[in-house]
Amino acid sequence: MSVSTESSAPADAGTPSDDTTPTGRRRFGAVWLAAVLVFGLLVGLAIGLLGPRLATPGDDSVEAGFLRDMSTHHAQAVEMSMIAHANSTTPGVITLSADIALTQHGQIGYMQAWLSEWHLSPTGTAAPMAWMKDSSGSVQNGLMPGMATPAQMAELRKVTGKALDVQFLTLMRQHHLGGIHMAQEILQESDNDDVTWLAESQVRGQQGEINLIDSMLKQLQTS
Amino acid sequence: MSTPGPDRVPSTVKVDKTSGQGKPPAAKSTGAKPGGRPTGKGPQGKGKGRKPVTPIKVSGSRNWGPIAVAGVVVLIAVGIIGYGVFASIKGSESWEDKAAGIEGIVNYRAQNNPAINSQEHKEGPQTYATNPPVGGAHNPVWQNCMGDVYAQPIANEHAVHSLEHGAVWVTYKQGLAADQVAKLQEKVQGRDYMFMSPIANLDKNISLQAWGYQLKLDNADDKRIDEFIQALRLKATLEPNAACSSGNTTTGPIAAAAPAGN
Repeated sequence: MSVSTESSAPADAGTPSDDTTPTGRRRFGAVWLAAVLVFGLLVGLAIGLLGPRLATPGDDSVEAGFLRDMSTHHAQAVEMSMIAHANSTTPGVITLSADIALTQHGQIGYMQAWLSEWHLSPTGTAAPMAWMKDSSGSVQNGLMPGMATPAQMAELRKVTGKALDVQFLTLMRQHHLGGIHMAQEILQESDNDDVTWLAESQVRGQQGEINLIDSMLKQLQTS
Repeated sequence: MSTPGPDRVPSTVKVDKTSGQGKPPAAKSTGAKPGGRPTGKGPQGKGKGRKPVTPIKVSGSRNWGPIAVAGVVVLIAVGIIGYGVFASIKGSESWEDKAAGIEGIVNYRAQNNPAINSQEHKEGPQTYATNPPVGGAHNPVWQNCMGDVYAQPIANEHAVHSLEHGAVWVTYKQGLAADQVAKLQEKVQGRDYMFMSPIANLDKNISLQAWGYQLKLDNADDKRIDEFIQALRLKATLEPNAACSSGNTTTGPIAAAAPAGN
């Protein structure tokens, strides 16, 4: 401050009463300029650091809940499909099970990558389905809607032939209905482009597969 | 320079001094310097002389006012921003740091033990450096880890492969109280990348494994169980997006389990 006093004072010496105000303004301006610059830099830094974090869904968001739960839900569809793919002798079932396994395993990759991108753990602290409204009672023995029980999975591993095809298609139909229910719920709750894009494809794709499964089951029952 | 220097400092701070003491010397030596100003005004009258001087005082307070305001604003901003950055950094703490924060966890990755680090796929029985194992060579078949709750001990050679795929393996002492087992089961069933089994010769009631990590505990109510699962499930994988399904679902040592893969 002493420097600015020294340099500004002599110049203003001619006008005694008025010169003090410009000097003051100049100091005033310099301080504010510095303060505003520092403040602006800090705000910019904060926006840069926090912006992306605030713009993405948080740990307790419906999106995070959906991605975590749908990953687990999908994983069982992959499991059932791989069993059918390995053990069925029906070309239609072998093809459908490959389609479901590959699609849903790929989608798990999308969902896990988004969680990772959002700096969220794939494992939440909330119970399964907690992100969904009125979800109480929908989880039984840790199983989300549509999921097969350990006993049903054990049975699926055991059966062969037509019994395998029927059991697989029946379980997968139920599984898809549960998955569609979850996907429809997130479509109502979320406006995240990535998540709604995937959820829409799941509703569409799994509805289409249910139609296919129904026709295959009808065919199996008459054969 | 020696005269205006000390002259000027008091002149901006105190008016009385300059008007009193500065009259004769200021008029001569500091013609253009600020010291001259008050003296020039001084003779005109004390009432008038003070008025023009007062703005100097005002300008002084104007200087400190904005500085104080700006300082406070910047301090608050720094505080808010600092907290935000701290929170976001803490929120994005790496899974390794989260794991390191769990009391009693053992990080075998840090030991760089080749026997534990080995990811080799080998047929037949393997020996492991720890019980339960946390890594090392294993069978090509993995244990199904889709929230499977195995009532009997399973083959280490399969379980280690599941750890490699990112699963958390919950093991407990054979004969552990049923209510304790039920509490563990609640954390496992229906949840992919989790599996659970009793194990022989466990030195604690419960032991949790992820690849390269282990946490041994006495009680199923211990909150560190959830912390371990939250930090390491899937995160500890060595093969991202490797599956837990299509694994072996039978129990017992590999001699019995080997032919029964899916």
